Amino acid sequence: MKADLDGRVAVVTGGAGAIGTAICRMLAANGARVVVADINGDGARALAADLPDALACAIDISSESSAHEGVAAVLSRYGQIDILVNNAGVNTQAHRVTIDNFPKAEWDRIVRIDLDGTYLMSQAALKPMVARGAGGRIINIASVVGIAAMRLQSPFAAAKAAIVHLTRAMAIELGHHGILTNAIAPGSIMSEGTRALFYGKDGLFGSRTEEFMRHIPMGRPGDPEEIARAVLFLGSPAASYVNGQCLAVDGGWTAGYTL
Amino acid sequence: MQIDLSGKTARIAGADHPISAALGDRLTGCGARLVPAGPADVLILSAPLLEAAGFDWDGLADTARTEGAAMKARGGGRIVFLLSASAGLPVRRQPDLSARMAGLGVLMRTLAMSLAPEVAVNAMGAGAIGGDALCSGTAEMIGHASVGRAGTVREACDVALFLCDPDNGYLTGQLLCADGGWGAGYGRSF
Repeated sequence: MKADLDGRVAVVTGGAGAIGTAICRMLAANGARVVVADINGDGARALAADLPDALACAIDISSESSAHEGVAAVLSRYGQIDILVNNAGVNTQAHRVTIDNFPKAEWDRIVRIDLDGTYLMSQAALKPMVARGAGGRIINIASVVGIAAMRLQSPFAAAKAAIVHLTRAMAIELGHHGILTNAIAPGSIMSEGTRALFYGKDGLFGSRTEEFMRHIPMGRPGDPEEIARAVLFLGSPAASYVNGQCLAVDGGWTAGYTL
Repeated sequence: MQIDLSGKTARIAGADHPISAALGDRLTGCGARLVPAGPADVLILSAPLLEAAGFDWDGLADTARTEGAAMKARGGGRIVFLLSASAGLPVRRQPDLSARMAGLGVLMRTLAMSLAPEVAVNAMGAGAIGGDALCSGTAEMIGHASVGRAGTVREACDVALFLCDPDNGYLTGQLLCADGGWGAGYGRSF
């Protein structure tokens, strides 16, 4: 699909990551001025340099001051924010253990980035968006793990489920400002992280990947561009009556019981 | 929004209403050739949006199953149901319609599983859509949609069209509502 985002300013957190990069490229290809926001400033600068009229922004979304400084930098460059994509998030790699043994420090790290970070970044961006009165879009990247719980990642499951419901709460609070909030729940997406866990030859769960794929009707991991396409639609003028929805882009994984 | 359906055929089966009629024009505008019957690359299964009585619901489900199986055998395609948002949240004033919508919503999800990976199956759920006379939903729903207005036929079509996109190869089994936030929660302050 093609959409007209000409002149819109879109902030993408986690913009230098695998899915974030695909989102940034997709929005830029449809006319948006993209802010590549990432805690990895070098990665953000490298991508922004490759996009027309883009800005790189080093932001730690789990820090209130960093989120506000980032938004101030965006406003100083473009004067407005039209679209915020809360894409930044982390899951545990080193602590694949059940809840009874899950370390508190790792729990705090994941919830602080995934859930608190979505709140802090949204709040920072919403102040100028509401004040400007021109409406806008917020797209929260949740996860299928926030719809169907999966083992050995309890804080991620909890934080992503919270993001799905936070999306609804935001939608009913912000709709009358013309600001529409929706979520996308990606399924298993091929990236460096999932390659290390599942899809690589020496992936942590490599031997079980075939069994895992039987639960996904499409029979394959998703592609970052397939997530970016859903972001493009929800950010586009065409989605002007879509609010409070959670769209899973998961190859049918959560459509039902597949086996 | 524009999707590329050049060289594709599209067929709209089921109920006639303003959304199905407008969607036909949009599909044509994206390059598809509308066919009245037989195989198609994009199959729209249109449910009545206001009244359950007098419609052949089993016939629509049969069409979904038989045409879906044929589409899978041909190697690919898109099926998009046009439903009411009551598929996801039942409406007290529309009990029969809500039950039919929930049934078709589950059919959509089971077909998404059984027709993958060749065919993607999704549904648009229409909230309060229309002008003075609504073609979907009830007047009461408008005040509970946080955007504070009814949606337009075009806005409902936009959602359906997105689900028809041949590029969306990983999106299946989804009910995506055009309801302005109606189904998300209590849009009013008590």
